[in-house]
Formats: sequence, C-alpha cells, structure tokens
Amino acid sequence: MPGPYDVVVIGGGPGGYNAAIRAAQLGLKTACIEKRAVKDAVAFGGTCLNVGCIPSKALLFASERFEDASKHFASIGIKVTPEIDLPGMMGHKERTVDQLVKGVSFLFKKNKVDPYFGTGRIVSATQVELTGPDGTKETLETKNIIIATGSEVMPLPGVTVDEKVIVSSTGILSLSEVPKRLTVIGAGIIGLELGSVWRRLGAEVTVIEYLDRIVPGVDGDVAKEFQKILTRQGIKFKLATKVTKAEPGASGVTVTMEPAAGGAAETLETDILLVCIGRRPFIEGLGAKEAGVAIDKRGRVETDGHGRTNVPGIWVVGDVTTGPMLAHKAEDEAMAVAELIAGKAGHVNYDVIPSVVYTHPEVASVGKTEDELKAAGVAYKTGKFPFTANARAKTVAEKDGFVKIIADAKTDRVLGCHIIGPEAGNLIMEVAVAMEFGASSEDIARTCHPHPTLTEGVRQAALGVDNRIMQM
Amino acid sequence: MKKDMICKLLIIGTGPGGYIAAIRAGQLGIDTVIVEAKKAGGTCLNVGCIPSKALIHAAEEYEKVLHYAEGKSPLGIGLAAPTLDLGRTIAWKDDIVRRLNNGVAGLLKKAKVPVVHGWARFKDGKTVEVETETGPQIVRAETVIIATGSAPIELPFLPFGGNVISSTEALALKTLPATMAVVGGGYIGLELGIAFAKLGTKVTVVEAESRVLPLYDAELTRPVMKRLADLGVAVLTGAKAKGVSAKGDALLISTADGADEKIAAEKILVTVGRKPVTEGWGLEEIDLDMAGRFIKIDDQCRTSMRGIYAIGDVTGEPMLAHRAMAQGEMVAEIVAGHKRSWDKRCIPAICFTDPEIVSAGLSPDEARKVSPEIKIGQFPFSANGRAMTKLAEDGWVRVVARADNHLVLGIQAVGVGVSELSTSFGLAIEMGARLEDIAGTIHAHPTQGEGFQEAALKALGHALHI
Repeated sequence: MPGPYDVVVIGGGPGGYNAAIRAAQLGLKTACIEKRAVKDAVAFGGTCLNVGCIPSKALLFASERFEDASKHFASIGIKVTPEIDLPGMMGHKERTVDQLVKGVSFLFKKNKVDPYFGTGRIVSATQVELTGPDGTKETLETKNIIIATGSEVMPLPGVTVDEKVIVSSTGILSLSEVPKRLTVIGAGIIGLELGSVWRRLGAEVTVIEYLDRIVPGVDGDVAKEFQKILTRQGIKFKLATKVTKAEPGASGVTVTMEPAAGGAAETLETDILLVCIGRRPFIEGLGAKEAGVAIDKRGRVETDGHGRTNVPGIWVVGDVTTGPMLAHKAEDEAMAVAELIAGKAGHVNYDVIPSVVYTHPEVASVGKTEDELKAAGVAYKTGKFPFTANARAKTVAEKDGFVKIIADAKTDRVLGCHIIGPEAGNLIMEVAVAMEFGASSEDIARTCHPHPTLTEGVRQAALGVDNRIMQM
Repeated sequence: MKKDMICKLLIIGTGPGGYIAAIRAGQLGIDTVIVEAKKAGGTCLNVGCIPSKALIHAAEEYEKVLHYAEGKSPLGIGLAAPTLDLGRTIAWKDDIVRRLNNGVAGLLKKAKVPVVHGWARFKDGKTVEVETETGPQIVRAETVIIATGSAPIELPFLPFGGNVISSTEALALKTLPATMAVVGGGYIGLELGIAFAKLGTKVTVVEAESRVLPLYDAELTRPVMKRLADLGVAVLTGAKAKGVSAKGDALLISTADGADEKIAAEKILVTVGRKPVTEGWGLEEIDLDMAGRFIKIDDQCRTSMRGIYAIGDVTGEPMLAHRAMAQGEMVAEIVAGHKRSWDKRCIPAICFTDPEIVSAGLSPDEARKVSPEIKIGQFPFSANGRAMTKLAEDGWVRVVARADNHLVLGIQAVGVGVSELSTSFGLAIEMGARLEDIAGTIHAHPTQGEGFQEAALKALGHALHI
C-alpha cells in the first residue's frame, strides 16, 4: 500500500495541483488524485486548463486576431481578406491545453508529487479511498487531506444540456462549425467571453440574462460601458428575462422565455444554445459529509477562513469552498494551506483578488465597487480616466474604455480599481500590488509610469481622485 | 514693438516635460506662459514615441498577417497575402499626432496657460525674447523652466540630407525603401529597423559596439537578436560607418575585422543617439553650470542660477518622456511652494522592439555593486498559460533582490506585451517590495503578470510552475 502520506490532495485543478507542488516543496510526502481522463490517460489541470480559462483564452485570442484582420486593419493601411479555418483554430486551442496538461505531470515528477488516476473518497480524516478507472480500489493513508474538487456547471431547470445543440461552457469550446445563431443564457463572464468568440467568427449572438444588468458584481459604470461596447460589436441583449424551457427540434432549439417580473412568454429559435448561468461546488461522491465535514446551504465546504474545515486534518481550497470561483484565488489558497500544514504562516488576503474578463476590450477589477462601499457606508472618492485621452491607446488603434480608481475619502487609501479597456488584465496588477501595500492614490500618482503605455491611464485616474488629472 | 508679457512662470518648450509643468502650474493657480517654436508636444508626440509606436503597431500587424498568409499561422486564420498601403498607414499615424497636438493645445488652454509661438532666447535670467511671426515678444518672468529637449546626433561624415535620414524623416517616408541601413543599434534604431523589416524593407544594422542595445544586459537582448535573425535583419556589430557611396546608394563601412564594405541602402537611417538642445536659445547669456553636455541640476531641478530650473532631456539621461513629465510636475509644485524633491527609486525603461524589453531598477550586474549577495529569479513565458494562448512564449521575467533581506532591486522582462507590465515592476520597487510581497500578491490567472509572481517565487527557491 502506498503511503503513508503527509498530504493527499483530492482534485488536480489549479488549487489542487499547486497545493500538492507546494506541499512537496516543503518536504511533505504528497499525493494528488485526479479523475479527469483525456484519451484514457489522466489529465491534471482541472476545469481551468482543460475546459475553462486556457482553451477559452486560446479561442478568444485567435478569434480576436481574425476580427482585427477582417475589420480593423484597413484603417491602418493593411488590406487583407481573412478566412476562418475552424479546425486550425481548434488545433491552436488543443495544442495549448495539451502542453499545459502535460506540464502539470512534469511538475509533479520534478517536485516528487505522487499522481493518482481515479476518484478519491474521504473515508476518514486519515484515509482516502481511490477508485481507479478500471474500478480497482485502494486506500491511501494520510495525515492531511486537501479537498480541491472544484465546481461544475450549474444546471437550469427546464433546459437539458446535450452538449450538441444545447451546450455548456465545455461543449461550446468544441463546436465543429460556426453556428448561424447562438443564444447564450447568462450574461456573466463566461457567457460574454464565449459569446464574443463565436460572434467574431460570424454567429448572430443573443444573450439572455435574468437580472436587469450584465456581469453582476462588476462595477456599475463599467458594466454599462461594457454593454454599450458589446452591443456596438453586434451582440443582442435580452435583460430581465427568464428562460423557462428549451427544446431541441429539427431546425435547432426553441427557447421559451418570459419577463423576469412576470408577463407574456415569447420564443426564440437558435442553432446553438449555451447555458452558463454559473457554477456550483462539486462534492458528489466525495464522502466529505459522511466524514463530518460541514457543508453550507449552497453546497460549499465551510472553512475557518484559513482553509481548515471543522474536521482536524481536512482542509479545503478553491471553487468548492466560499469566495470567488477564480483559478488564482484557488492557487493562493493552495499555497497558504500547504504552508499552514507545514507549520508556516500561510495567509490569503481576500480583499485583494483581481478578476479579469477576456473580451475585447478586457474588463478587470480588484477591491471594492462603489455599490459595495455605498452599502457599507464608507465615504470614498473616485478618479476616472478614459483611454481616448491615452496616447498609447491611440497608437494601437484602441479607444474604448476607462480606468476608475476608488479611494477612501479620509485616508486616500486605494479601496478598488475597475478598468474596461485594452490590456485591462495586465493593468490591474499594478493596483493589486499597490493595494497589498496599503497604498494611497497619491502613491500611485507619484510613481513614474512609463510613456507611452496604457498604464499612464491608471496614474491619471489616481490623479483624478485628487481632482488633478493632467491629460484631460 | 509688442507690449511685454509679464508672468510668474515661463516655460520654454512644450514637450512632455514642458507641457506637463504648464498644466500642473495652471492647476496650482500659477500665472504661467509657455513658448514653443514648433508644434505642441515636442519630440515625443510629433516625431518620437507616438508616431514610432503607431508605425511599429501597423508593421507588427502587417507582418503577422503576412506570416499567416504563408500558411504559418497556428491560429486557423487563412488568408491571401495582404497588401500594404503605406500612405494610409502614414495618414493614420499623422492623424493620431494631429489629434494629440490639438489635445495638448486644448489642455494648455484649459489650464489657462497662453502659448507664445516662436523661438525663445534669453536676454538675462528673467527676460526672454521670442521671435514670433508677428515680431519680437519680450516675456518677463520670476521663474523660468528650460525644457528644450534633445535632437538627433548628426555624424560629421554622414550629414542628414538626401538619403541620409534621422528618425524624424524615417517616420514620414511616403514610399517603402527596398533597402535601409541603420547606423546605431540602440533602441531607436532597432525599433524602427524592426518596423521597416516587417513592412518588407531589407534592413542592415551597423553597430560599433560588440552587440546591439548595449545599455541592456546581454541576456535581455537575446530574444530580440533571435527575432532580428528571423526577420532577416542583418546585424553587423563592431562595424563602423564611414560615409555614403559616391552615387549615394550605399553605406560605406569598415567591418569588425577591418575590411571595407559597401551596404546597398536606399535610405541610411542614423540613430546614434540624441544630444541636448543647448544652443540657439542664449545659454551663453545666462552662463549655467553644465554637467558634461547637459545642464547641471540638483534634486529639485534647480540650475546654477536662482529662479531657473531645467527639466527633461536637456538635463541628462535617461532621456525618457516620463522622466521629463515627472520632473515637470515636481517643479511646478516647487514653484507653488510645495515641498518636493526628486526621490524616485525607479524610472522604468521600455524598448518597443519585438519582443519588447522592460527594465526597472538595477540589472544583476548593477545590483551586485550595491549588495554583496543577490538572489535572482527568472521565469520563462514558455511556462505561462496566457503567453501560450497568445503565441508569445519567447522571453521571461527576472527579479533581482538582495540576498540578505530580499529587497527587490530590479525587475527586467523581455516578451510580447511586457511594456504594460512595466508599471507593476516600477511600483513594486517604489514601494520597497520584498520578494515575499510579490510572491504573496495574487496575480490574476491567466495573465502574463503571473510570470512576475513566479519569478519572485523562483528567487525564493520555490517556483510553482517550473
């Protein structure tokens, strides 16, 4: 029997594999269990690498290049007529995923993590039962268990995903042809990213959202601008609308919907229906409940805020517990939990977790939104700067979006930053680092920002908090 | 004779240093006048950073689609060979410059700072005479800021004119030259050389030093060298330019081993550096102390004469627009009575080559001089998911820190799009970050910024993704 282990990690996504690597680096004898199989072999990397962040970003990048070439190059003096080679584009996606998945196995080998292919079930705080792909069972003895089982697609009552014409975020990544009409249920990050991919490739895209706004949780100003830009790009929105039924037929899918507030139902015909109303924690068959691990009403494994469950020796990281379902949040929790197990001082600062939407333009934010601060009764000031007044944006033929920085009205400490614009995902990191240092908007304003870069927009927004923008 | 203008603050030059000083002075309620001989925005906006970045962007996009057309795209975008309409590209670039010119003029107006158009000349430390189109204008000021900038250095044996051009003319070519020799392999020469090579010009770079981009460490420049080779740019190091051929269609050089050679070149672009503009505006009348070629300044940009400040390229290296802007802002605040002095720990520098290079703070060699032992963490983009999705796997991020207390001393990167990581680097150094601070900051996934965090982790001995 293998083991005994110091740490057995159940789940090999960004939370699980990083926890395993860090634990092994700290000298702990570590195993990581993963059940996902690709072509009969174990595929580490979880949702993110296999069917999430990475393949979607590969398609977003390729489709954006296609759209640039078809629509934007003429204005800068380049004449060209591009065509889509969808299998070629999918090839780029598959190569990227394949390299990264193999990369995780390599990292395990390098860091001496024992990989296991199969499904893990918690028997007790010191035992994990592994069921291999052929059904054979073995038990791993361990001092600690880290639950990193992630999340799964949230189903919508009345709509059955078949991954053919009614697809989830997984199926939409592998369509074999560009649909004429694509309907997306859910105007969240995933829906808008994947809707953008297929719109660029030629689909007529309609997004249906239950709430009366898109990207819930994102700063209101940003969401408004975002919707305006996406509409101009050709995406149609049906907000405050509830989907009650979706039926596949001879000519696609018939979607039945009604106003969220109640009212007359209407129908819509579409070739492909993408359901992405969110994700839910995945603990089926894990045996956590049976082992006495507390689960909250929304099915999330409860923690003390430092990765400990209520059962000593059982820990949790990532989507399966509370907090935003983001790979980098899971990774940070993973590092902290591995360090805590090793007796070090691991810590996650939940106030500074950036998030990025990879549409064009990108949307990125960190810290609090104005709505959150208003609700909490915090007095704040804002500074806002549009990319139309940024020189670098002009030289790369970009004009949409803005940077907004929010700072405490009394202390000037930066409380949040919200960006919609080119490279927003790279720009947000400066503010995240600044917030980790408890920086004021003046600290950002007094830091030399190279010219000509888009980052100058962040500085101008920081100046705006003190009402002294210079470039506008 | 025009009536004398009297003001509290006079600024000479509307480049990034001058116009920012003027806007900040206006915000602070200082009665300010600014003088400009040409167009608002200086070198940067008219013939430097901005137009070059526009041309670089267009060239980069063109080369990419050309590459796709040759069937080399891994992205699944098929196309016939693209055609370039350079006239259209240049018109697009000119339009950007025009809008930014108008923008600066508008900002000065908003700040209530009048612009006097013409060449300024000191009569004494408080009086300047401007030769305007409508006659001389005397401006009297309590305080003067000299922001006259810099100009391309001309080689005596390769005087500008005809086919010998500076970066200014290179940015305004109407037709694409079939061949171009670039004299000087610094960042300006390489940025433009790469852009022209991508547009289809056969480019040869002639550099007297033993390698190009001698101001950056060799490791940083390696990915750029590789790309130059891929683009078919010939790089001759240790070679000296001698002059133009009799017909004017070739550059004469002597190679590293002393042989004389002729390099066919429709255009010869000379980019051997820039010199401060210290002539023609009456420096001799006020007799300021100099630091070599530059005007000598202290940590508040004061010159040797009371009431006269100098900012930007005329005061020395690094000749970067953002340094000038920071100085301009600071001096305006000093003039308004604020307590300010130059306390920047870091002025990041960016090379908009392909791939881009960023350097913030100290290189490993420089760091070894201030710290007996250092730690270095380097993380390649080939192990970064975002870079893989963007076909941007060349290059890396490197963090240099003191070994004893992990204080970050320098951060360098080379790779596609790293210019936008520059401020994260600069801010970390400015805040006095330790390696643990960078490692402990959540970097969004998947972004190239994760490479920064991983480089810090690597320096700490526990990188996760390599």
